Amino acid sequence: MSDRLVLSHMGLVTSPSQSPDSAIAPTIHAHGLKLSLGSGDNAVEILRGIDLVVPRGQTLALLGPSGSGKSSLMAVLSGLERAGAGSLTVAGQDFARLDEDALARARRGRIGVVLQAFHLLPTMTALENVATPLELAGTPDAHVRAAAELTAVGLGHRLSHYPAQLSGGEQQRVAIARALAPRPELVFADEPTGNLDARTGAQIVDLLFARRAEAGSTLLIITHDEALARQCERVVTLADGRIASDTLAAHDVSDTVG
Amino acid sequence: MAERPLPWRTAWTIARRDLSARFRGLRLLLVCLFLGVGAIAAIGTLTGSINGELSSRGREILGGDIELKVWQRALKPNEVAALSAYGRVSQGLRLQAVARNGDRTAPVALKAVDGKWPLYGRLALEDGRKVGAPPPGTVWITRSTAARLGIRPGDHFLIGDRPVVAGGIITAHPEQMSEGFALGDLAISGLELPREAGLTAPGAMYRSATRVRFADPARDPDTVVDTLKQRFGDEAFDTRTRKAASPATQRFVDRMGEFLVLVGLAALVIAGIGIGGGVSSYLDARRGSIATLKVLGATSGDIARIYLLQVGAAALVGSLAGLVAGTAVTPLLARALGALLPVSATLTVSPTALATAAAYGLLVALVFAAPPLVRARSYPALALMRARVAPLAPDRRALLVPVGLGLAAILALALASAAQPLVTAGFLAGSAALLGLLALLGVGIRKAAAHLPRPSNAILRAGLANLHRPGAQTGALVTALGFGLSAFVLIASVQTSLQANIERTLPARAPTLFVLDLPQTGVETFRQTVAAALPGARVAMVPNMRGRIVAYGPRDHMTKVSALGKEVPDGAWALRGDRGLTYSATVPEGSTVTRGRWWAANHTGEALVSVDEEFADAVGLDVGDSLTVNVLGVDITARIAAIRRIDWRTMGFNFVLVFSPNALEAAPHNLAATVEAPPGASSDRLLPRLAQAFPSASVVETGGLLKDARALLGQMSVAILAAASVAVLAGLAVLLGAIAAARASRTYDTVILRVLGASRRQLLAMQLAEYGVLAGVLALVALGAGSGLAWLVIVKLFEFAWLPDWPQVLAVLAAGLALVLGLALAGSLPLLRAKPAQALREL
Repeated sequence: MSDRLVLSHMGLVTSPSQSPDSAIAPTIHAHGLKLSLGSGDNAVEILRGIDLVVPRGQTLALLGPSGSGKSSLMAVLSGLERAGAGSLTVAGQDFARLDEDALARARRGRIGVVLQAFHLLPTMTALENVATPLELAGTPDAHVRAAAELTAVGLGHRLSHYPAQLSGGEQQRVAIARALAPRPELVFADEPTGNLDARTGAQIVDLLFARRAEAGSTLLIITHDEALARQCERVVTLADGRIASDTLAAHDVSDTVG
Repeated sequence: MAERPLPWRTAWTIARRDLSARFRGLRLLLVCLFLGVGAIAAIGTLTGSINGELSSRGREILGGDIELKVWQRALKPNEVAALSAYGRVSQGLRLQAVARNGDRTAPVALKAVDGKWPLYGRLALEDGRKVGAPPPGTVWITRSTAARLGIRPGDHFLIGDRPVVAGGIITAHPEQMSEGFALGDLAISGLELPREAGLTAPGAMYRSATRVRFADPARDPDTVVDTLKQRFGDEAFDTRTRKAASPATQRFVDRMGEFLVLVGLAALVIAGIGIGGGVSSYLDARRGSIATLKVLGATSGDIARIYLLQVGAAALVGSLAGLVAGTAVTPLLARALGALLPVSATLTVSPTALATAAAYGLLVALVFAAPPLVRARSYPALALMRARVAPLAPDRRALLVPVGLGLAAILALALASAAQPLVTAGFLAGSAALLGLLALLGVGIRKAAAHLPRPSNAILRAGLANLHRPGAQTGALVTALGFGLSAFVLIASVQTSLQANIERTLPARAPTLFVLDLPQTGVETFRQTVAAALPGARVAMVPNMRGRIVAYGPRDHMTKVSALGKEVPDGAWALRGDRGLTYSATVPEGSTVTRGRWWAANHTGEALVSVDEEFADAVGLDVGDSLTVNVLGVDITARIAAIRRIDWRTMGFNFVLVFSPNALEAAPHNLAATVEAPPGASSDRLLPRLAQAFPSASVVETGGLLKDARALLGQMSVAILAAASVAVLAGLAVLLGAIAAARASRTYDTVILRVLGASRRQLLAMQLAEYGVLAGVLALVALGAGSGLAWLVIVKLFEFAWLPDWPQVLAVLAAGLALVLGLALAGSLPLLRAKPAQALREL
């Protein structure tokens, strides 16, 4: 590993001159990201200049008190929201230049998202839910791959069940299968265990890490759970729209979690 | 990376997966299209089959390629010779007569025909025979005449004083449609009978009808008629051709068709509103799915494709069901219209009508579903992460193509298929204006509700806030309620106006008998006969002859009727064909002179005439103008001395033209009389005595006529009501949909208020406050818009008097309001009944 990569790994090197298309290009390369909601006097600054570089394959926990901008940062990084200022390259794409539709296309097959409230499509079976992103990306054997992914998360027997017929844990497994089925370069998880009990939550986290490892994806998790954060290689803490700390694993993060 | 849009196939896979098999959420769209397309399909199929019947059976209906009619004379030999040049000629006479068997009598409409009759088709008899003219001395009669006379086929009876044999019972008469409503039951005899029975003496009211069957079937009948008129003069005879075998029916069908098309368009506009509302709430409910799909990588174009396919599938199913129902219901409509129209009650499939209906339905679906679809494209993926984010600004330019093209196509389709494009265009413009007005009103109500001082009562405050808060359904509710309530007012006004017209047209007090062709010498005998058989009966007698108006207007530049062609002014029906004429020294009973002065009883010198006010106004005549009539081939010009208002409710002798005696008394003519029996008395004894005393006179019983007219108008009003109720049904569906959508949008508030301790009564009061404000404002709008449209239908389309029963209209409107409030409250009951905890779980 070169010095440069180590430094960027630490979140310390954030020069925009860094080439995103070099052979060892990071998955996320953000510089000076800003985001405001509302306009004029009512404008609220949510992100106040975020610099962040995430190398390929890293697992990163995003910590911070409510209102610190965690979800907004994830929305911007995953292309669900466009930053008001700054530069952002994700999976080789210059997100700052893409419109809403181009961002949607950029997500296809490359970015998986797991949300606290699962957000499965209620009218579709588990299998269809997992197959949908593959179909959107034009994958020919979408159903076969979806079935394999569901089997891998232990739901091989639930393929034709609808979300309403599944428990919360099972629904989140489907959501993980859906996010990971296209073998994405990058997976975002927004409080994936927030709606689950501790035991089920632990199982889901194990599953998420295991599946991510197999896919070789970069994983960025938003969480309040220190134990979960400790499982990640890197922990970034936000406060008031800025990065308050950025540390590598095996570090006690208790004093940065609000 | 796939830059191209999602292939339609994949879009359909996802769309089908996301679509409930029972179209949950899209049922309003389905129902609205079903009703709209069904109505248009039924209307198209019905009018298509009627017009098809009229044109394909034109020859049979007319009984020839052309027909020439003349009052009180047969065609002259040179006229017959001219007709013979074109093909086979059949001559006949039409007159009223009385059939007798001992003491039993029956007035009949006698049709005397020569041996060549009928030129097309055959007459069907009850015994299964298909026949032509009866042999000499034989008469074909109807079942009811046979019953009244107490005879069977083979029995003898009298027509006038001439003995004849009942040869058979008529079951189907091909020319009935072109001959209109007869003043008595049909009897068909040989051509010689009227003369032998003394029914065609000079001055008698009979008409000859001569028909020609062209040797060359391809010959154009209109050209032949023009040639004949050039040779014999415009006024020589009334003509008809196979192309317009039954002008009265055609006029009725055209007018009815136009009305039905308007009803269809109304149903479609209402359906469109429902479609817009339905699709809008469907897609709102799909916000989560749309955002999820976007998170998974779907672009706004992909979203548009997926949901366009869903909406399209529902639209297709609704339209197809509408086409099937529209076709299936046509025989029922035909049966309801019964004797009104020449249409068989069999299932007919008209591809053009069905294609038009489907095109209308899908275009309307496109136009009204496009805005919510375009809006749905812009639901942001971020909606999943923040509970409620404002949608991105919809791309209004994306609306231009589907909405603009759809509207243009609808307009083109409507105008191309309209008999009166102006009326149709006016109606469409009116609908658009009403939509615009309601949209403005929606905005106005929102703004007003936002700026009103806040009520101190929390429930009222919440009710009021529901009208203007973000995401409020006020606009959709205002449109749906406005159209729905307008439909109620429209129906009530049309229905009560029609009813009043029926009652006004059909007098409560009418003469029992009309007697035609009484000789001038028989006045005293007639009075005595009536007095003896029916003591206390009122008798009125007037001179009666036929003539046609040939010119009218200021003396120095009179308008020639022949020069008007088919463009006879509205209300100037008296210009068409022969009219009854009379003369009188005094103002006739039931008339009031409104302008000018009546002539002196012993007036001599210039011929004078008095004209009915409505007719005078229709053609622009005034006192001092002149009028020329042709009576038995002689032109008589008279100066208009007086204009009268006729009370048509006195069903006596109401002549449009009444002359001064010196103008007409020299012309050969008979008298006509009315006999009004005292209440409860029957004319059964009078009829045989009259027939005996005046064998050449003809009698018309008004009882049957009134019954027929009442039945006819009744059928018409049923048909109108049936057609209009489709629009009302569509309105109700839209109303239900709007209320359901509005309810869905405030489920959250209701549940939270329940959790906070609001009682059911308080929540109901909140709903009442909101809907009460809306319904109150819209009732006024509906009263204006609904009655305006009804006025258009009654006065402009049907040319009836505008006589709505306002208390009844208001009662119907009140019922509509009650229905709206009832539906709104009933819609929220499930929510109110649920326990808060349970409702929270279901949120």
